[in-house]
Amino acid sequence: MMTIEQNFDSKPSLLGTSELLFTGLTLLSIIGLSFGLHSLLVGHHHTFGTTREVPWGILITPYVFFACLSTGLCIISSLGQVFRIEIFQPIIPRTVFLSLATMATGLMCITLELENPWRVGLNALSSPHPASNIWWKTTIYSLFLIFMLFNFLALLVKNEKMARFFAIIAFITVTMGNLNMKSDMALLGERGFWNENYMPLYFLSLSTLCGCAAVILFTWAAKLLKGKPMNRAEELAIQSTGRLFMVLLLAIAYFTGIKVMGGFFPEFTKNPEAMYNLVQGNFFLNFWIGEVGLAVVLPLILIGVAGVQNRTTMAIASISCLVGSFVLFYDLVIVGQLIPHYYQYNVVDLPQYYPYSPSLHEIMITTGAIFFFLAAFIFGEIVLKKMKIKS
Amino acid sequence: MKITNLKNLKNEGTENLPSKERRCFLQLGLSITGVFLGGTILSLTSAHNATGALSGGKILTTKSPYSPHYTMVIREKHCIGCEKCMEACRSTNKVPDDGFRTTVLERSVPVAPDHRERVFMPILCNHCNNAPCVRVCPTRATYKDTVNGIVQMNTDKCIGCKTCMTACPYNARYFDEAIRAVDKCNFCYNSKLKESNGKTTACASACPANVRVFGDLTDPTSHAYKLIHTSGKVFWVLRPELDTLPNVFYVES
Ligand code: SF4
Ligand code: SF4
Ligand code: SF4
Repeated sequence: MMTIEQNFDSKPSLLGTSELLFTGLTLLSIIGLSFGLHSLLVGHHHTFGTTREVPWGILITPYVFFACLSTGLCIISSLGQVFRIEIFQPIIPRTVFLSLATMATGLMCITLELENPWRVGLNALSSPHPASNIWWKTTIYSLFLIFMLFNFLALLVKNEKMARFFAIIAFITVTMGNLNMKSDMALLGERGFWNENYMPLYFLSLSTLCGCAAVILFTWAAKLLKGKPMNRAEELAIQSTGRLFMVLLLAIAYFTGIKVMGGFFPEFTKNPEAMYNLVQGNFFLNFWIGEVGLAVVLPLILIGVAGVQNRTTMAIASISCLVGSFVLFYDLVIVGQLIPHYYQYNVVDLPQYYPYSPSLHEIMITTGAIFFFLAAFIFGEIVLKKMKIKS
Repeated sequence: MKITNLKNLKNEGTENLPSKERRCFLQLGLSITGVFLGGTILSLTSAHNATGALSGGKILTTKSPYSPHYTMVIREKHCIGCEKCMEACRSTNKVPDDGFRTTVLERSVPVAPDHRERVFMPILCNHCNNAPCVRVCPTRATYKDTVNGIVQMNTDKCIGCKTCMTACPYNARYFDEAIRAVDKCNFCYNSKLKESNGKTTACASACPANVRVFGDLTDPTSHAYKLIHTSGKVFWVLRPELDTLPNVFYVES
């Protein structure tokens, strides 16, 4: 499935640039994440924009975003590894590494979002609560991280059998995690979160869409970094990923259409107040520019016009889709919480929506997490090159 | 509005109700004779025959799983909004300045086309029998006391994920920085109930108008028990459409 570079490229490469970039991104990441440590020390009350009424802030967004991205990347790596579809095999090592790095980033975000993360290990094991979707989520994603790590290590030592074994269990694990995501949100439906019936399929499509975008973007970036063109096999793999990307964009366009219906016609949704706020209310810019424009329409137009062969256009479409999806996950987490608990009770002076805006600390941690992931990507490229894994 | 006037209300039908409540209502297969107080709380039958409201009535038809089964009945119309309950709760239970276990909401209720009535609505944890906060907690830091039905906190286990706060539909929880854990009303279990052998709570004893009646649903001599077991009396719970099965009941008088 993967091929080893027999004659390691002796042309001058930009590896020096990679190391420089890695150092810079790591420093930026440390600056951002140090805001997280400060918050842990002084308590979130002093540093976060969250409140009693809106307890989950922006940090849940990178968690859900990176976890879904990781799921999507695992699914795409599984096409080659688990289902042995030949055309996807050249991109396996990078995709596996990206899946590992995204999940690590997501788990780091949720750790910094907790007030007492040091209690997690002990209490999640000594006092587990299997009825809690959050317990399952943490457990499933932690296990997934371990399986993916072994998958990657097996690829590095070129043990294909072992790599496939871990790929299979990681794939099963993360699919369970993705389905669990729906129950997570549905349970919070009491607060006006999205508990619509389309959620499981929606999350799965969205995850795979983000995975496709990341594969296209980071393969392009890796080649740019190395100053090498893609070989034919990689090109074909990226083109196939591009086609899958296109199909999934259409699927997400359909789900976005359902949201639009819910926003304009209350009878199409179980959360009319939240949907209205998203589509026509305070979040309408997020929705129309982020979720509709960047996540779906622009990528569709770009790929539609330039085709899957144009790598730069594909990379731009992917960035656009990832940024739009990040906004989508932000909306998903926040909008439902803004509907006041007693909104049906004619309470005097009750705001129409609870306020929330991310604090400096929350923004810095989120940015730090994104830099952490980018640094991890460069680190992965250095490792793949040093281990002479063709990718 | 007097409870007896309910009978004379025009039947507004289910079409005027919020969609969630309408669905829930229709699922229960009940018929409606009047829309009670602002269209959000329902009277299911005529005032004359009323015995319960939506899911609030459920627990009365089966044997209680708890003994004692603590409850609080709020005689809503008597509340004058003095907030003495809030002060008593705060000082008795060391509630931080930026948190509250109970509060009093003021409602402006439409009672006629051009007339609204001000009503105070005290709220606190409902100690739900089907509590979303208990269900979501990953470490069982939040749990339902199997003896008395109180939704309790084991603060040492709280990881501060705040999922319970997100899931509680009644805004009954807060994060206490001093103990680095989520906290909430526990019917004064630690501060009073253990010692006073289940007699009362700080907010109930501080209330000058006897709005809050604390008691035991398994004790027919309890005032709270009597208030919601009186034939012809309408009582209700908050946000019944969510099926959380609260143990805090509201009555008109
Ligand atoms: S009111 Fe909220 S905190 Fe209290 S038991 Fe119900 S869900 Fe839990
Ligand atoms: S914040 Fe604490 S009590 Fe609430 S769900 Fe998380 S661990 Fe449980
Ligand atoms: S019962 Fe006790 S803890 Fe609960 S609101 Fe009243 S005073 Fe506060």
